[in-house]
Amino acid sequence: MNNDSLESTSEAIPPETTMVSDTTEKVRKSLGRRYAREKRFKLFGVIAITASLSFLAVLIISITIRGLPAFKQTFLNLDVTLDADTLDLGENPDQDALRKANYNGAIKNSLLELFPDVKKRKEKKALYKFVSNGGQYDLQAKVMADPTLIGQTINVWLPVGDDASGYLRGHIDTSVPEKKRRFKNNQITWIEELRADNKVQTKFNRTFFSRGDSREPEMAGIKGSLFGSILTLMVTLVLSFPIAVATAIYLEEFAPKNRWTDIIEVNINNLAAVPSIVFGLLGLAIFINFFNLPRSAPIVGGLVLSLMTLPTIIISARAALKSVPPSIRDAALGLGASNLQVVFHHVLPLAMPGILTGTIIGMAQALGETAPLLMIGMVAFIVDVPNALTDPATVLPVQIFQWADLPEKGFVEKTSAAIMVLLGVLIAMNAIAVLLRRKFERKW
Amino acid sequence: MRTFNPEGHTAHAFDVELNDVKHKVMTMGGLVESMVHNGLQAVLAMDESLGLQVMEDDHQANQFELDIDEDCTRILARRQPAASDLRLVITIIKTITDLERIGDEAEKLGRIGVKLSGESNVPTYYNDLHHLGEHVKGMLRDALDAFTRMDVEAAFHTAARDEAIDKEYANFSRLLISHMMENPANISHALDVSWCARSLERIADHACNICEYVIYLVEGKDIRHSNLDEMRKKLL
Amino acid sequence: MNKENTVPALDLEQDTPTEQTIEEIVASLGDTVGQTRVDNPKMSVSNVDVFYADKQAIFGVDLDIANNEVISMIGPSGCGKSTLLRCLNRMNDTIPICRVTGDITLDGEGIYSKDTDPVLLRARVGMVFQKPNPFPKSIYENVAYGPRLHGLNRNRADLDDIVVNSLRKAGIYEEVKNRLDDAGTSLSGGQQQRLCIARTIACSPEVILMDEPCSALDPIATAKIEELIDELRENYAIAIVTHSMQQAARVSQRTAYFHLGKLVEVGDTDTIFTNPRHELTENYITGRFG
Repeated sequence: MNNDSLESTSEAIPPETTMVSDTTEKVRKSLGRRYAREKRFKLFGVIAITASLSFLAVLIISITIRGLPAFKQTFLNLDVTLDADTLDLGENPDQDALRKANYNGAIKNSLLELFPDVKKRKEKKALYKFVSNGGQYDLQAKVMADPTLIGQTINVWLPVGDDASGYLRGHIDTSVPEKKRRFKNNQITWIEELRADNKVQTKFNRTFFSRGDSREPEMAGIKGSLFGSILTLMVTLVLSFPIAVATAIYLEEFAPKNRWTDIIEVNINNLAAVPSIVFGLLGLAIFINFFNLPRSAPIVGGLVLSLMTLPTIIISARAALKSVPPSIRDAALGLGASNLQVVFHHVLPLAMPGILTGTIIGMAQALGETAPLLMIGMVAFIVDVPNALTDPATVLPVQIFQWADLPEKGFVEKTSAAIMVLLGVLIAMNAIAVLLRRKFERKW
Repeated sequence: MRTFNPEGHTAHAFDVELNDVKHKVMTMGGLVESMVHNGLQAVLAMDESLGLQVMEDDHQANQFELDIDEDCTRILARRQPAASDLRLVITIIKTITDLERIGDEAEKLGRIGVKLSGESNVPTYYNDLHHLGEHVKGMLRDALDAFTRMDVEAAFHTAARDEAIDKEYANFSRLLISHMMENPANISHALDVSWCARSLERIADHACNICEYVIYLVEGKDIRHSNLDEMRKKLL
Repeated sequence: MNKENTVPALDLEQDTPTEQTIEEIVASLGDTVGQTRVDNPKMSVSNVDVFYADKQAIFGVDLDIANNEVISMIGPSGCGKSTLLRCLNRMNDTIPICRVTGDITLDGEGIYSKDTDPVLLRARVGMVFQKPNPFPKSIYENVAYGPRLHGLNRNRADLDDIVVNSLRKAGIYEEVKNRLDDAGTSLSGGQQQRLCIARTIACSPEVILMDEPCSALDPIATAKIEELIDELRENYAIAIVTHSMQQAARVSQRTAYFHLGKLVEVGDTDTIFTNPRHELTENYITGRFG
């Protein structure tokens, strides 16, 4: 028996020198192919990345080129005489009278003063177009802030109308015959005169950030929709974050694993894949028609977007909770922590960066969402900046959608500019997500 | 009764190492056994060359002891044997010490054989010495057999024979004394033969030790310095 | 030597025995060899069966854990030694499909009885895990967590005392005294494990369970932990599960060998490692399977 085992071991390792060299040869043959395959794969990767990067670059560059002019606005310097007669004001006018005063008349007068030759009605009309319709609101604001201005002549910069500013920026092709042009030859003469007098100036467009929507492109701003977006997102965050985190913690840590929790899990996953317009219909049916909440209001928008964001946050929060190593749970349990203590002392803090990332991504998604908001009326033309959750409002992407539909040159610029703002906000949100991860990410 | 099996390790090389060292012990046992045989023969036949041969073989036995010791040290260091493997290694280390001593005793027999080689007349007590020698040789063979087969039963039987050999040695000593008193001229020769008998008795003791190691190895109980019969009843 | 009838159980090493069910094999193993009971046991396990859903993991185990003694549990993977260990402080409660029957007592009181609160039990029966698992907090916070949880300290100074004493008892104080605010995870593996032991000691438990505490450590760190275990024996009852037989031989006074969920043999470590009585124990510790 002993001999057997000794012999068998010596036989177990037969000398096979030929096999070794064979293998070397075979491996060497296949090496070339293997490396080629690797190189090909890398090349595909580089091509894919280059392609996507160049698409992105094209997108950003084209939007930037189109959108940048919208951040500039052309102003016309006018000496406006604010006498009470022109403004249709009586003695001691109250605020209401000041609001309703005829500022437009004053502006027209001062324009006529600049060009005393203009007499014909048609020519006058063409001249009036130099100052934007919105110019009167600037004057209105000035006078209402300081009623003593009445009776004085003040020097103001007023926004130039759409056609004139288009000409000044070189958007109007002067080689086109006059009849087919919106900006006529006499207008060109006048404006060149003004330009020569240094009465035309291009400044940073504060209107874009300080006003709501308008029919006049030079007076339209994103403040209304930006505030609408902020209010809507606040509602979404306040509603969806706690609910989603609580749901995730319950499902992940406490719920018994049975058929019911399985069904719930499947449904949450399904909800994440439901087209967002369906949530809009749901919001319309339930929040507006059943609960009679106001249309176009950020609160309804927030509620609808919460519905849409919840599954995203729940799924990412569950993944984050799941990724906390069981050894940490064991350690805390082994020291005598109760289940709730284990979750709130250890698991939740460790999962927080993941949960926050998921939340911010969900929020970014909500920020860019249009479809469900169309269903609940947030697509209305709203000039005022919303101040409360129930004020009618619109949001940035919807604003972009609306502007993209309008033919005026100014709105084309504004569309791109608004997209730039939206992208900026999204990038900022993602940057916050990355920073939060960095800050709170801990090793275990 | 328990059995003993040095094989079946997951690490096959360990099997090989243990078997290897066990084989060496058996070879060494065979060598020592032949040394005892030759030594006794050298004395009985007063054969000088046989005696020298035994003295030569003792070096080989010593070398075996060194080799096996080294193997065992290596196994202890590298395999950290436990339980039966540990007992096997310990048994081997002890067994080879006894085998080496047996070799020494055989060498003494050979030396005396060389010394006596000039003598011509064969004394009458050589018959008794021969009988004692055969008895001891038989016991040594059985002890080595028990070791080879790890046979506890045989080991008990063999160990029990030590008592009989002790008695025979005592009788033989008395016989020698009476011879010496009868014929003082024989004292020198008789003393040499007495040394031979003494060596044979020691060899039997060492054989007995080996049997005890075998019992320890298989049963895990150290039966040295205890009553053999009682232990046997307990174990078998 | 008759090779055929020596080790009939050799084919048990297969994970899925084809011919016999586990129940049949376990029944063929016979009664536990050796003395399962001791005088004045700290913990006592009687006729415990553990099931994971329908699968039985532990079969009728009887075992005592004595004060001031280290008992090691050894056996091949999946033999139920860790499962039994986790029953001793009800860590298995966290697994919904796990069911424990039989009696386990701590100082004579059943730990699975209705009156026993698992949170209190775990404060009395501490556990050290296979992988060093310090919380991603400071060293101080790691040790202070347990006492704070159970309200063992009256004030901050008390807590400082507990932390320092625990670290000292775990033999790591000198190494970390200048950086108690560093993250526990910044320590080396061996230090982390000693930190975990300190964390366990800080709750002043009566029994310490260790589940392969050195499996992730290098030999020097292992030696330090083993030295520590030997020192801790003065004040605690310790049960340790280990895959290293040498470790069991070095640190424990008694050794229990498990096979397929059955306690096959238990006895003095000295005896188990020189002359085990059950064939399976012999085969396992001499490296013949497992």
